[in-house]
Amino acid sequence: MHTEPKPVRVWDLPTRVFHWSLVASFATAFITAESEKLRDIHVVAGYTLAGLIAFRLLWGFVGGGYSRFAEFLPTPRKLIDYLKSLTRGNPQHYVGHNPAGAVAIFLLLGFGLVAAASGWATYEDMGGHFMEELHEVAANGMMAIVVIHIAGVIVSSWLHQENLVLAMITGWKTRRS
Amino acid sequence: MRHLLVIAAAIFTVSAHAETPRDFLTRFEKEAGAAASAERGARFFTTKQGGEWSCASCHTDKPTQAGRHAKTDKAITPLAPAANAERFTDAAKVDKWFRRNCNDTLNRVCSAQEKADVMAWLLALR
Repeated sequence: MHTEPKPVRVWDLPTRVFHWSLVASFATAFITAESEKLRDIHVVAGYTLAGLIAFRLLWGFVGGGYSRFAEFLPTPRKLIDYLKSLTRGNPQHYVGHNPAGAVAIFLLLGFGLVAAASGWATYEDMGGHFMEELHEVAANGMMAIVVIHIAGVIVSSWLHQENLVLAMITGWKTRRS
Repeated sequence: MRHLLVIAAAIFTVSAHAETPRDFLTRFEKEAGAAASAERGARFFTTKQGGEWSCASCHTDKPTQAGRHAKTDKAITPLAPAANAERFTDAAKVDKWFRRNCNDTLNRVCSAQEKADVMAWLLALR
């Protein structure tokens, strides 16, 4: 029997605003990282990023639906099952975050906190060379996760025939049955 | 978190092997294939080279003194090795800051000759 695609509400407004604000602040901070002339912009972008992550950590507990950490907390079992299903070409479908995406989210939030804290310490001349190195490692870690995340979005959008980028803009997913 | 600290510590250790300021003069002169000139270095350091800032905008034209960041106003420790033993002792750090600061002052990388000249001048300062 043919069923009409049914729109599902997945991402609430705060989650979407958070997502794209994090994109903007991280991109700004990354692009301005090497320039002393743009140092003040870099610092403001970094503090913005820290504030956004603080909000997301709170929203992971008090937000609703698919935004809650409890909804997408990845376990090794879930992650392995999901990755296996990918290699078999018959991927498990998650309406919210899949387990691989969930791991990326927690890594990104963690790296982001380390980057912001070590960046702040460096800017305030505390922690010396170690904090400076830690800041760069954390920021590069974030960029690595972002690259993997974007690749995952492209692959997953194709495998499941759903536009995940559009869903993060509108908040809605259309399930094909 | 522990992994991150281990990675950071590893990078820190690798990049922390000691060099002396004179090693950098030798290296840049070798790369340039010509002797350095402290006089040329002084001129290069203290005058604008096409950008909005010169080296002296932050490091002052007497880098045995502490400088001040031209944007953030933060204190910068003296650049001349005679006044600050920590300067020019770590190749990774030296390369990183020449890359960044040359881009800020010249909108390009510095040539080996320019770096050699600046090193010669900084080493001559007492």
